[in-house]
Amino acid sequence: MKTLEAEVIVIGGGATGCGVLRDCTLRGIDAILIEKNDIASGTTGRNHGLLHSGARYAVRDLESATECIKENRILKKIAWHCIEPTGGLFITLPEDDPNYHNRLLEACKFAGIDAKEISVKKALSIEPNCNPNILSAVWVPDGTIDPFRLTSANILDSIERGSKVCTHTEVERIMLKQNQVIGVQCYDKTAGEYLEIYAPIIVNASGVWGQHICKTAGIELKMFPSKGSMVIIDYRINNVVVNRCRVPSDGDIIVPGDTVSLIGTTSRKIPYDTIDELVVDDDEIDVLLSDGEKLIPNVSRARVLRAYCGVRPLIAVSGEMDGRDISRGVVLIDHKERDNVQGLITIAGGKLMTYRLMAEMTTDLIAKKLGNSKRCLTHKIPLPGSEKRVGYTKKIKYFSGIPNSVVGSTHYRHGERVHNILSLKKRNYGLLCECEMVTLGEVEYAIKNLKVNDIVDLRRRTRIGMGPCQGELCAYRAAGLFTEFGDFTPDESTKLLRDFLEERFKGVKPVLWGDGLREFEFTYWIYQGLFGLGLVEDNNT
Amino acid sequence: MRYDCIIIGAGVAGLTAGIRCAKEGLHTAIISSGMSALHFSSGSIDLLGYRDNTVVYKPFEAIDQLTGTIAQHPYTKCGKPLIIEALLFFKQECELQGLFLFDNGNLNHFHVTTLGTLKPTYFSQRSVFNEEVYSRFKAMKKIVIINFEGYRDFHPQLAAAQLSKHALFANCDIVAKQIEMPQLQDDGKHPHEFRSVDIARIFEKEDNIEKIADVIRLAADDADFVVMPAVMGITNFNQIHNKLQSRTRLLVYEVPTLPPSILGMRIDNALKSRFAELGGVYIAGDKVVRADITDDVVNAIYTNSHPENPMEAQCYILSTGSFFSGGLVSEFNNMYEPIFKLKLHHEPERNKWYNQNFFHSDSHGFLQYGVLTDESLHPYDSNNNIIQNLYCSGAIMAHYNPIKEGCGSGVAISTGYKAAGQIVNLLKHMS
Repeated sequence: MKTLEAEVIVIGGGATGCGVLRDCTLRGIDAILIEKNDIASGTTGRNHGLLHSGARYAVRDLESATECIKENRILKKIAWHCIEPTGGLFITLPEDDPNYHNRLLEACKFAGIDAKEISVKKALSIEPNCNPNILSAVWVPDGTIDPFRLTSANILDSIERGSKVCTHTEVERIMLKQNQVIGVQCYDKTAGEYLEIYAPIIVNASGVWGQHICKTAGIELKMFPSKGSMVIIDYRINNVVVNRCRVPSDGDIIVPGDTVSLIGTTSRKIPYDTIDELVVDDDEIDVLLSDGEKLIPNVSRARVLRAYCGVRPLIAVSGEMDGRDISRGVVLIDHKERDNVQGLITIAGGKLMTYRLMAEMTTDLIAKKLGNSKRCLTHKIPLPGSEKRVGYTKKIKYFSGIPNSVVGSTHYRHGERVHNILSLKKRNYGLLCECEMVTLGEVEYAIKNLKVNDIVDLRRRTRIGMGPCQGELCAYRAAGLFTEFGDFTPDESTKLLRDFLEERFKGVKPVLWGDGLREFEFTYWIYQGLFGLGLVEDNNT
Repeated sequence: MRYDCIIIGAGVAGLTAGIRCAKEGLHTAIISSGMSALHFSSGSIDLLGYRDNTVVYKPFEAIDQLTGTIAQHPYTKCGKPLIIEALLFFKQECELQGLFLFDNGNLNHFHVTTLGTLKPTYFSQRSVFNEEVYSRFKAMKKIVIINFEGYRDFHPQLAAAQLSKHALFANCDIVAKQIEMPQLQDDGKHPHEFRSVDIARIFEKEDNIEKIADVIRLAADDADFVVMPAVMGITNFNQIHNKLQSRTRLLVYEVPTLPPSILGMRIDNALKSRFAELGGVYIAGDKVVRADITDDVVNAIYTNSHPENPMEAQCYILSTGSFFSGGLVSEFNNMYEPIFKLKLHHEPERNKWYNQNFFHSDSHGFLQYGVLTDESLHPYDSNNNIIQNLYCSGAIMAHYNPIKEGCGSGVAISTGYKAAGQIVNLLKHMS
């Protein structure tokens, strides 16, 4: 059996785990990350991509609000290429409590959030699609953040600095010697083989799946999963984040992101044993669309592209079953203190916005255990892509000869790394995905450098297949390139295509009506009717 | 102006009906709102490829069985003798335009797909199936699958790997090759963003063929069979195919591609010019939006471009296709037929419209939804009354799944032919 060694094993390739890996790497700690699927494929990649200003928490949870605005400012520096500092609005509808407006302004002031009251007229000029009947508006420094790029940049930096990342590798159990962890046993799903990794410290950053990970070490850690669903609208119908000025509730936020807009979010308690097979319920879609329409009336006329859901991990600190001990904030557990298991740390709770802070807290504890005295640097050293801030026009000039839209999209997604992707060779900048302007060069770069194991992973790195057609033509175009640029046989590439279409369909079927149904009929026609892709496995047997 | 017959929709069903009506001397118009599904098709005519997820080799026997068991199926409404007559008619009409369709007698044959899978079909164009292809396929020693540099929509190595798994090619060496087109002149188009039509245009320039043939010959090496994406021209494809084969001294075979489908466009062109030749009126780029109906008779229809001017005919055929083509419309929790508000067969609950997986073995429910008709292809309105001078044909009809059964074009041809026949009989009887 293959074995590896390190000082630290990080379990979980969400934002937090990847943040811990990077923090360790920057402090010279030898760390290795294990993720059972792809990076950012769990809760991290299933939120609304809001770069919180903290205003949404300000009234009820001052601590979270303060953390948010602090991290908001840091992320804008170290990860600018994953962020659009759009700004945001809190709008009061005629049916809402008008007093919440003042409470929000007051609370933001306390939290240090630069919120200001603006006139309705001003609000409508900032966001012309906004409901014109609003009573009042507040401007806040909200923005949007791409969780896939953020997580990928953390991984890329760690790999470039010598750390190891194993995706599509599932931890089977934590190995203990008396009360000390000594490593993990895991299964590499791609290679189809088991491996053992030895390390004296294990970080459980697997979010809601942490309950299961702890159980393999004989520790009870109770999670209370809560499902949040969202729908994606096939146009960027707003340019700034639009929040409803009321106590946070279902369907009260619309976040623009890349080429689309997203209506969030619902919140429902779900049983732990359903976390791997979440589905968006029809009534959640009803709520999101009808409440979304109150914020931006155009919602009812736009096509719904897909619906998806994520699961928030709320954790019971003491292990008791009643709700009293459930924490909504960051939970850092040293299992030596809690369960007398040395070397095991759980980091959970929190939110995407505070991933870096959570990683810092965790790595401080790791460093202490290892006797490492180096300070955290993650708030200072920019992520790959955000090294230098060069304007869009300068980049277009630099790459003159390549269409502006291609340079713009690549730069938007990869920041400074655009130089590792684009070249003046014509094949390099030929488009594969017209919806999202993804070039062959970008796909090649991602397959070779960004831990891409399949077309689903590729989508998270490049946005291929995320546009209106949901991968109708580009999925096939990309599949073949896995054979050319990656270590895939043609048969494996064909299977990737099938898996990708199945994965995309999960998000399409809850919203299968209107143009979405037409598009699906077309896609089905191509891949089943024209290609006979569904017959491929039958042919093999 | 009053027509004998107005056909709404210019897919295979509408064009077949139009040709038959015009040929019988009826004053016929076809209104087309845009490109038909032919542009996205394989360009072969599928009659009946699958029954219960099993490949059908003898389609006519399978049709006998089907018509005996599924009362509502469009094939049952047509009956086997009419289906055979319709196929023959379609083949002959295409032939008159220089588009030759080959069949395997009573049997289906198979065509190779972009992925390298084999799909059962009934008629194919000469570059896809003919007697020579059939006889030589079996004894093949080496096949080379080629693609042209810059064409993104074909990965020969994927097709080669898939094809070599088939028992038929067990003793055959199948290789993939990427070749450079010598004729790719810089006309402003990005040379790595070609679609099938862009390459087809290069093939259509007479001077290019010899050079292309020489490059293909070189790439083929010692292979005796060349498989390439279907880009051998949209208009003069027969000459191109002949020239390529004679100069390379190889069999050259076309594989239907991702849209746009050159093979489908050839059929589209052939049918349209045949219709025009017979004096039919083809109205392109307009959409029928509503109809004026009294006492179960359609008096007139109105289009997008002429919302105030009625178009009148004695009889009408509705062949507007399914959801994709706009013949059926779905909304959040409801479905309807937009022009005549006809009675539909469908499940009211949205979550019944689809199955859990993309490639589910039962396919998807919505593909079977559509307009309900009687034996004569008359649709029902929402009050369950027959609309007397309206007939339906093609994908707008309910109770069959064109993809799962592999019968889309067969149903379109048969029902289009039958609808036209009903009208011809009716109007001749009246006069």
